[in-house]
Amino acid sequence: MNSSVYSKLAWTNLKNNRKTYIPYILTAILTVMMFYIMDALFHSKDIGSENLKLMLQYSVGVIMIFAVLLLFYTNSFLVKRRKKEIGVYNILGMGKRHIARMMIVETLITAVVSIGIGLLAGIVFGKLMYLLLLKILHYDIGMHFAVSGTAVGQTALLFMGIFLLTLFYNMMQIRLSNPIELLHGGNKGEKEPRTKWLLTVIGVLALAAGYGIALTVEKPMEAIFDFFVAVVCVIIGTYALFIAGSIAVLKLLKKNKRYYYKTTHFTAVSGMIYRMKQNAAGLANICILSTMVLVMVSTTMSLYAGMEDILKYRFPMEFSAKVASDSKETDQAAERAIREELEKAGVKEKSWIGCHGAWLAGIKVKDGFMLTEIDDYSVSDVCALSMIKLEDYNKLEGKQETLAPDEALIYAPYGTYGKDRVKLGNQNYKVKKELSSMKLEKKNKSSTVDGYYLVLPDEGHVQQALEEYNAGSAASASYAYKISFDMTGTDKEKKEAAEAVETRLAEEFSYSYCESRVLSEENFYELYGSLLFMGIYLGAMFLMATVLIIYYKQISEGYDDRERYQIMQKVGMSRAEVKRSIRSQVLMVFFLPLVTAVIHNVVAFRIVKMLLQTLNLVNVPLYLGCTALTICIFALFYAVVYAVTAREYYKIVNE
Amino acid sequence: MALLEVKNVKKIYTTRFGGNQVEALRNVNFSVEPREYVAIMGESGSGKTTLLNILAALDKPTGGKVYLKGRDLSTVKEKEIAAFRRQNLGFVFQDFNLLDTFSLRDNIFLPLVLSGRKHEEMERRLAPIAQRLGIADLLNKYPYEVSGGQKQRTAVARALITRPQLILADEPTGALDSKAADGLLNLFNAINQDGQTILMVTHSVKAASTAKRVLFIKDGEVFHQLYRGNLTNEQMYQKISDTLTVLQAGGEELE
Repeated sequence: MNSSVYSKLAWTNLKNNRKTYIPYILTAILTVMMFYIMDALFHSKDIGSENLKLMLQYSVGVIMIFAVLLLFYTNSFLVKRRKKEIGVYNILGMGKRHIARMMIVETLITAVVSIGIGLLAGIVFGKLMYLLLLKILHYDIGMHFAVSGTAVGQTALLFMGIFLLTLFYNMMQIRLSNPIELLHGGNKGEKEPRTKWLLTVIGVLALAAGYGIALTVEKPMEAIFDFFVAVVCVIIGTYALFIAGSIAVLKLLKKNKRYYYKTTHFTAVSGMIYRMKQNAAGLANICILSTMVLVMVSTTMSLYAGMEDILKYRFPMEFSAKVASDSKETDQAAERAIREELEKAGVKEKSWIGCHGAWLAGIKVKDGFMLTEIDDYSVSDVCALSMIKLEDYNKLEGKQETLAPDEALIYAPYGTYGKDRVKLGNQNYKVKKELSSMKLEKKNKSSTVDGYYLVLPDEGHVQQALEEYNAGSAASASYAYKISFDMTGTDKEKKEAAEAVETRLAEEFSYSYCESRVLSEENFYELYGSLLFMGIYLGAMFLMATVLIIYYKQISEGYDDRERYQIMQKVGMSRAEVKRSIRSQVLMVFFLPLVTAVIHNVVAFRIVKMLLQTLNLVNVPLYLGCTALTICIFALFYAVVYAVTAREYYKIVNE
Repeated sequence: MALLEVKNVKKIYTTRFGGNQVEALRNVNFSVEPREYVAIMGESGSGKTTLLNILAALDKPTGGKVYLKGRDLSTVKEKEIAAFRRQNLGFVFQDFNLLDTFSLRDNIFLPLVLSGRKHEEMERRLAPIAQRLGIADLLNKYPYEVSGGQKQRTAVARALITRPQLILADEPTGALDSKAADGLLNLFNAINQDGQTILMVTHSVKAASTAKRVLFIKDGEVFHQLYRGNLTNEQMYQKISDTLTVLQAGGEELE
């Protein structure tokens, strides 16, 4: 055959199958674009931060895996649809070699169009994405984003590989079947599925366990581990319930004759039984994917939006420094050094606080705190202990408290202590008073780790506790002088000041430790900003995939259902009833995963809130708002695709 | 009054791009009395299927009228048409048209469910019909689990359960082996004896020979008709064969 015949045939084929090929090519274009943009960002020389690079690299990997799966899935759908057409070519006398040549040309056209347009779109929108990323990260670097040759090459190579793979798969499909099989595609009578009670029970139990954990977890630290257990339980439960539970419920409905033999229920219930048999796993996938997207986007969004809050809670004062306190002279030297550096940077201090004490990690037990490791404790019992001598407390707060040698004051900024005795290692104290506030730290709900302040009668008591702590554990702490203050000045000045103080203290003192809001801010923006960027980017990608998979599923079912609806119309179903029946079935398939995902999200709300708490985000309304917003946007996209799909489906059935 | 009256029915198809006009039915006139069993014969392309589609209200004639119990089918509103067909007509098709996703029982119930009948009533109606058609033991099976004859009997049960005025059968023996076809034709006779009016379209002489009256269609017109009178099936078969021979050979009007 003349070679131009092949390209003509290929063009005609693509044109005739446009209802399925256009979405396929569109998917390919979008995937190419998204991969290229991420890859180009990863290769961009302007992005220097290692953390960010790592995250971008991770995203590139995720998109790559996703691209392979998505394109492969949609392609397998296409080739299944076209088996009959190819069978006809075969019977009309085209050899399998000719068909293969035709398919090669088709794939070539698809690949060139997809990769070409995808790269072009990637280059255009890449710049936009780059700007967005810089904005999100609060990066302030020059704008020279060029076309990344490496990324173009990698993208082209990857997608050519994928298309080659799909071509190979399609040719195998053709090779392995004879014309008669090809002609019949895949229409066979199907048995009604059996109810799998065991799996249903497992599903119910797993889901109940997952939900139970999510709803009963008490402490943020425990939440981290429990969250993963709950996620695994819920995933198992979702799969089991979609696969077995759905059929069990439908069969029960079918048994209820009065319910089943109603016009609206009759076709829906029996149709759904078969539909769930074929699609349960796919729908469960979609449900889990959607749940992940919703959690990912809403958490990253609220972390980013709540950054100011987070910083304020994490760093009650703008700057704090600790130096080893040997004598009054060292304390004064430290203060002097800090003031000098602040002055040099042109920054003024506010609300200066200095106090002596020891800061270490203890283990909370029933009647107090252990300073050495004990056999049986959980991570959530570890707490931060701040021990301060009475003299400094009185000076700081302007009070005249007195303590007997066996008395102490206690302050719990994240809750209450609530007992009248406190054990501190080997020492026992009577709690003279539980304080309701302290200048060093205001009462708040934030913090990963529990914390307590103990005001002890004098330095001797603090030293005694320190000795016990240093003797009994690998860590060591020393008696320190802590200086904290706020600053006034521009961000740039503050940053310079903070950096200068940190270097100076490190040079001059045997032990020093500094924390500043302004320096951490950059890291936070970089971390949460890149998390947000990834959340939105991958979220958009998952959303696209989800919606596309459902679209294809519904369309392919439309072809399968066409015959059924034609029979029902012959027997006396009206067009309006057909339309209603289609709408309700498509609606169920579409929104079952979404509704389940939303329920998962609602249940997860509490435990995710706790996880955010460990990241110092305690703004519940903010998280609630972000979750609601994410769900709304997601549902909106979903609804649009649903409307399109239902229409296409109806067209197919009524062709 | 005739149950079904077909008057001057005409059907012209226009090809897709408006070029050629094809005349499927030229001028069809006949009527069916209550309790009659009529067969319509004709070759492929004679317009049989078009006629049946018009009688079933699936298609509209280009000219002429069809009356069912005196009601003009063209006056039935688009919205009511499905319900009208459900209530007045029963259908038996060549390829059974049973739904694989329903058990035989549910397939039979389908038109009643669409009409919104109560489940108790459905069961009450089904029992005698299933008994009569010999499918009482098969009701919980699925279409892919039973033979062709059993499938067609299920389809007949589905047509009968709505107690229609008229059963329209389109080549009902077409997909059956001879034994199953004989069984089905006996069944048609039996339900006709019970008082059910049947109109069957076929090109099987065997099938037509069981009817009380046979209409022959050629080139879109009723060309001839035969009454059984007191003839046996065999005599009827002979007469139909003769008629067909004449029809095919030349086409001058008989008798």
